[in-house]
Amino acid sequence: MNAGTQTHSHSSRSAVIRSVDAARRYLGGKFTAVENVSLDFMKGQVTALVGPSGCGKTTVLRLISGLEEPTEGQILAGGKPIEGPGPDRGMIFQAYTSFPWLTALGNVEYGMNILKVPKAEARERAMQWLETFHLGDFADAYPAELSGGMKQRVAIARTLAQNPAVLLMDEPFGALDAQVRWEMQEMMIEILSREDKTVILVTHDIQEAIYLADRIVFFTSNPGRVKHDIVLEFKNGHRFARKEEMLKQRDYAEIEAQLFVWMREEIQKTG
Amino acid sequence: MENTLSTEPVAKGSTGADKKKRKPVLNLLSPVSPRQAIILGIIGGIVFFLIWEFGHFMTPEESKRFLPSPQHVLSTLYTLLTEKGFLSDIGISLFRIIGSFTAVCLVAVPLGIFMGCFDNMRALINPVVSGARYLPAASFIPLLLVWFGPTDTQKMALLFLGVIFFLVALILDNTRAVQKELIEAALTMGASRKQIVFGVVARAATPAILDSMRNMIAVGWTYLVIAEIVAAQDGIGAVMMRAGRFLKADVIMAGILTIGLLGVMTDIAFRLIAHYAVPWNRKRSN
Ligand SMILES: Nc1ncnc2c1ncn2[C@@H]1O[C@H](COP(=O)(O)OP(=O)(O)O)[C@@H](O)[C@H]1O
Ligand SMILES: [Mg+2]
Repeated sequence: MNAGTQTHSHSSRSAVIRSVDAARRYLGGKFTAVENVSLDFMKGQVTALVGPSGCGKTTVLRLISGLEEPTEGQILAGGKPIEGPGPDRGMIFQAYTSFPWLTALGNVEYGMNILKVPKAEARERAMQWLETFHLGDFADAYPAELSGGMKQRVAIARTLAQNPAVLLMDEPFGALDAQVRWEMQEMMIEILSREDKTVILVTHDIQEAIYLADRIVFFTSNPGRVKHDIVLEFKNGHRFARKEEMLKQRDYAEIEAQLFVWMREEIQKTG
Repeated sequence: MENTLSTEPVAKGSTGADKKKRKPVLNLLSPVSPRQAIILGIIGGIVFFLIWEFGHFMTPEESKRFLPSPQHVLSTLYTLLTEKGFLSDIGISLFRIIGSFTAVCLVAVPLGIFMGCFDNMRALINPVVSGARYLPAASFIPLLLVWFGPTDTQKMALLFLGVIFFLVALILDNTRAVQKELIEAALTMGASRKQIVFGVVARAATPAILDSMRNMIAVGWTYLVIAEIVAAQDGIGAVMMRAGRFLKADVIMAGILTIGLLGVMTDIAFRLIAHYAVPWNRKRSN
């Protein structure tokens, strides 16, 4: 293993999500999407799941969200086996999921209404979340009137307004152009510095993974398995408000190169 | 000219680059302003009446009354409305179509959404419903006459049978076309089944469902007129059928014209409903 990284060892902090030898097979067991997934996701830790496309990153996230069940093994949230989706594990999708029939404000209120937050309080908190995401002026706009980046901010605000313990993000900025993606990444850093969420982020953008995450789990494909599990020691627990500050770090380039090598190995393996 | 990159005019033929290039009449992806659309629509209407007029003109004198001119049909329509109580026939036809189409929607909308939400219900109901679409509704006329006699119920039942199975199938498709991630997002937020069916799926599918309804009410007019032509004392179809016995082509054509106008009006009504009921979709519907 290269300098600046080392195999992740479980710290004394508690695991919010614990996957115990989980597998997900399709076609009556004939096709394995992922298997032997044993991972502990620590409180307050941002973990990026990285790997070639089709290696099962989305599947792992959906297993944790409860939208799918593992065919073998077990996944625990807060020590209890997961029984279906729930607001303790908020999910952000790559596709825009802000509800088109609700305004930006209505969208952010939606999640709180489900949790039966009193109406007046929900409205106030929703406004605050919109301000946080620089959407204050767009409270009454429908998603059709918003840009892709704004729609995604509405979706993230809606999820965070429910105050989930875990934030699951499946290539949340994958559909955005480079500049907007970068702005969104810095916005995430800003939010995370305040909210101290446990985050599991799926991305195929290596730079994004290194920028946002404290830890990177690299998957092999066919079948999807954990190949490397590294903590980004060079960041020393620090989250850089500006992306260039991270890019200037001496160990950054080395880790990025290492991930590219792993990626290439996987791609060549499958031909 | 538009595809040259250099500032130098590239000689393309002998016309030179400063001559303004004309856009072709049939231009792909070129939007039409509302004003242009109205003008083009009026031109289309005028062309239609000109063709009709020309047909009338070419018809030999002795059969001209079988293809009356547009003006003649319009004046017949005026006489029908002012002197022959045609307005009450129109009212009766409208009552029948609105009544039975409301009944159709009350069944088809919940059923289609229900089947679209729950795959096992779709597997249970869909074979019957989609099979029923292949039964010609007109073949039920004798049965409906035996059951209900030549009543309003018989006419409305025909319209109901002719439209319902198609509308259910359309609404099923509209429901299933709802983006899966919207449902999954609601699930991860802890929404209940009821909240998802009524608050997410039904709402997301509303614009498409309104479109389906608008398209099927047009088919509804067809069945209504068939029912009125077969057995009725009143309604637009009955007036036309009676006129047919006396070879009054002008009255028949006035009836056809009326149905066409009413059809256009129901279409506009549905568009207005969609415009105000689904404001968030306005951008797309324009
Ligand atoms: N419902 C399903 N049925 C069959 N195969 C599936 C299903 N969902 C995912 N897969 C397969 O599982 C593998 C992993 O998919 P996914 O988790 O989406 O990968 P990733 O997100 O890493 O690109 C892929 O080969 C995909 O085709
Ligand atoms: Mg994926």
